[in-house]
Amino acid sequence: MANDGAPADADVVAQVLGGDGEAFGILIRRYEPGLLRFATRMLGNPDAAADAVAESLVRAYRHLAQCRDASRLRSWLYRITGNRCRSHLARRHTNDISLSDAPPLADGSDTWAVLERNEQVALVERALAALPAEKREAFVLKHVEGMSYEEMAAVTGARIPTLKMRVHRAREALLAALEEVVR
Amino acid sequence: MSPIDPRFQEALDGERDPGELPADLGEAYARLISAVQLLAATPPASVAARVMAEIRQPPVQVQTAGPMRRMVRWLARPRAVTVRLRPAWTLALAVGLAAILLMPGPGHTPGAAEGVAKFVGHFPGARSVEVVGSFNDWSRGTLHLSDDDHDGVWRGGAVLPAGQHEYMFVVDGERWVPDPLAGRYVDDGFGAGQQNALIIVRAVTAQP
Repeated sequence: MANDGAPADADVVAQVLGGDGEAFGILIRRYEPGLLRFATRMLGNPDAAADAVAESLVRAYRHLAQCRDASRLRSWLYRITGNRCRSHLARRHTNDISLSDAPPLADGSDTWAVLERNEQVALVERALAALPAEKREAFVLKHVEGMSYEEMAAVTGARIPTLKMRVHRAREALLAALEEVVR
Repeated sequence: MSPIDPRFQEALDGERDPGELPADLGEAYARLISAVQLLAATPPASVAARVMAEIRQPPVQVQTAGPMRRMVRWLARPRAVTVRLRPAWTLALAVGLAAILLMPGPGHTPGAAEGVAKFVGHFPGARSVEVVGSFNDWSRGTLHLSDDDHDGVWRGGAVLPAGQHEYMFVVDGERWVPDPLAGRYVDDGFGAGQQNALIIVRAVTAQP
């Protein structure tokens, strides 16, 4: 990634490995939003997601020398975060995630449009949370993070046909759940 | 649940123009895209400050046998010694030596929630072997093994918090090797099928 003159991942990685630990902040700023979004969708809880992402980034920093291909850093970071999320879910002894049944609390300044949108978000999140973790992960990587099946394979370690099947099944299940909700 | 028309899946996979879908499939397509847009909002939280604070921290120093203790251990090891009478200064040397041998070791005594971890690896020809693991933030330079008799068997120990720790050997400063003698292993979480060795340290108070 080297948009707008920003340094490429491989250059930043080389800088960090060369002793400039502060340069890791460039990579955090670059990938943190997507990793937090991914972990939040996987775990259904922003606090748990923040913990998972923070642990993953510290782990990535400590093991940066083990990243074999710095040009694929994004996949590597998502892989570490995905593993962290799976560990987190395993500790809960279930793949299901729990979300509050109530949409976010409204305050007086909220308009009907905001309230309706909050309600819709809560319903979509609930439908996503009802999916098994593997299908949820595949759907989020494909549609929310916009990855190709090749990159998803690098992130998850699963084969492309398997991932396609998971995404297709996730779409079907989500559509069925949302049929009466999202227009 | 019945499978959905493959044209719907193709459109979502970018293999078909969604505009070509029949009305009912086009509606389902739009519904799913709306749901994705709702999920695409980025959470407002940031962990950047927390992560940078964490990585600026120096790694935890493992309590291990230092050079003095290694020297004492080497001196204390039984070996054949030929003693010849020398001038008086040898007597002073002997007194000094005895003082070192009788001096209590500077090693760290395990606390109630700590135990002693012992590491042994067979690395003939290695110039150095050290242990990195979850207990020292995978940092080198804190836990060195030694092979004093040059038989290729490297040994060392450390006082660690009781519980489960992941670790690897680092041979000659560059080769990371999971302990082949460890009874348990765990995936290292980096996706290349590598495994870390596991050691379970029992608290001294829990040991019989």
